[in-house]
Amino acid sequence: MKRSGRDRRLFLLTIAVALLLTILPVPAVLSPFKPYWVALAMVYWSLETRDIVSLGAAFLIGLVLDILTGSQMGLHALSLVVMVFLVQRFRSRLRFFPPWQQALSVLGLLVNDRIILIWITMLMSEPAPTWKYWLPPLIGMALWPWIFLLLDRVRARQRRKKP
Amino acid sequence: MATHIYDKNLTHKDSSDSSRWFGGEGARTARLMMYILLAIVLMVMDQRGHYVPRVRSVMEQAFEPLFLLVSWPAQALRSLDRRTRARGDLIEENQLLIEERLKMVASVQTQSALEHENQRLRTLLQATGGMTYNFQFAELIRVDQDPFSHKIWIDRGADQQVTPGQAVIDGLGIVGQVEEVHRHSATVRLISDPDHALPVQINRTGLRTVAYGTGATSHLLMPNVPLQADISSGDLIVTSGLGDRFPTGFPVGEVERVERNSGDTFATVYLRPFAALDRGREVLLIEPRVIPPTPRTEQP
Repeated sequence: MKRSGRDRRLFLLTIAVALLLTILPVPAVLSPFKPYWVALAMVYWSLETRDIVSLGAAFLIGLVLDILTGSQMGLHALSLVVMVFLVQRFRSRLRFFPPWQQALSVLGLLVNDRIILIWITMLMSEPAPTWKYWLPPLIGMALWPWIFLLLDRVRARQRRKKP
Repeated sequence: MATHIYDKNLTHKDSSDSSRWFGGEGARTARLMMYILLAIVLMVMDQRGHYVPRVRSVMEQAFEPLFLLVSWPAQALRSLDRRTRARGDLIEENQLLIEERLKMVASVQTQSALEHENQRLRTLLQATGGMTYNFQFAELIRVDQDPFSHKIWIDRGADQQVTPGQAVIDGLGIVGQVEEVHRHSATVRLISDPDHALPVQINRTGLRTVAYGTGATSHLLMPNVPLQADISSGDLIVTSGLGDRFPTGFPVGEVERVERNSGDTFATVYLRPFAALDRGREVLLIEPRVIPPTPRTEQP
């Protein structure tokens, strides 16, 4: 019980950092490369813990992200709910993949997410995005092993500090 | 093999556990559907402007300090850069600025002569009265992440008398218009936003038309120019002032390319905007102000 409380605090901290990274101003050259930080954090936590990330939490975090990025209200909420659902559905399989295979699954999740978003924006008759639109999933995949290792390390240390 | 069995066991445990917490796979899918439906309803309400935009505006205001916090490192870097500039550079820059100023003063003098003449002619014509503009300086604090809506956030808001609909320019041309006003910040929709339409006219011939955003900051589109209209690449496009949003006569851009297909009714004209839509850091807000049509005597 205690352990899950600690994880919950760490989860909220991770999400807060991911949100700040999302709105951090970067030079215009780098901005198309910006990964979907919040999604990466959500994937990690719904993969590694069972009872912290719920669909409702994903929805709420998505709404906050919508407000912060100025996108259509509900757009990121939808995207995160679908992503968390998929991770939870295939959790037992994803968990025992070797890292490179896991990174590929993350790429699949992020690309799937982009397809959903593009479909919605097409329905709202916005113009089609350029090829740069597909860069963030690739960056996300490249970053995944590092994020995974970092968060695992932090959690292991916390566990050791307070047994 | 061993890991496989382990995996299987865990899968089993997992599903029994989730059935305790979520009431089985079916219920979870139902919950997913519910959230998706909720998200779609929200999106439609936001699109149609029902209620949601107001809630969002309030929430954005609540998150305002966060943006100021996040933009702090960049601003600190810039001020550090200013402070640590070498002395030699400063002297050189100063020299340049003095020369620049002299040139400016000269051009302002001719300008003011022109202005007087214009003013006299207007009174003669008993025209609607000259408009002069006050400018308010504002700095960008954030650029929208969404590739489908081109918005920027500026550091002036209701406290500085910013009002929705105000035109925004930079040193080169029209940038956009103020959309939402918060206390210390405001959002500006850029002319390159796919939903933005700007009433313009071709400076050389006076032909009026509308320039639409394309979602790319590199060009705007004028799809309603008659096929036989006198327009060619290099023509200067200025605001026409129709629609009462943008003041008249501000430069917008120059014609880049004219496509005339003999089957169509209209020519398609591509326009390169002058304003630094994707790289500027400072903008000016225009406050329209009517002055009485008497010649001004103040010194520049």
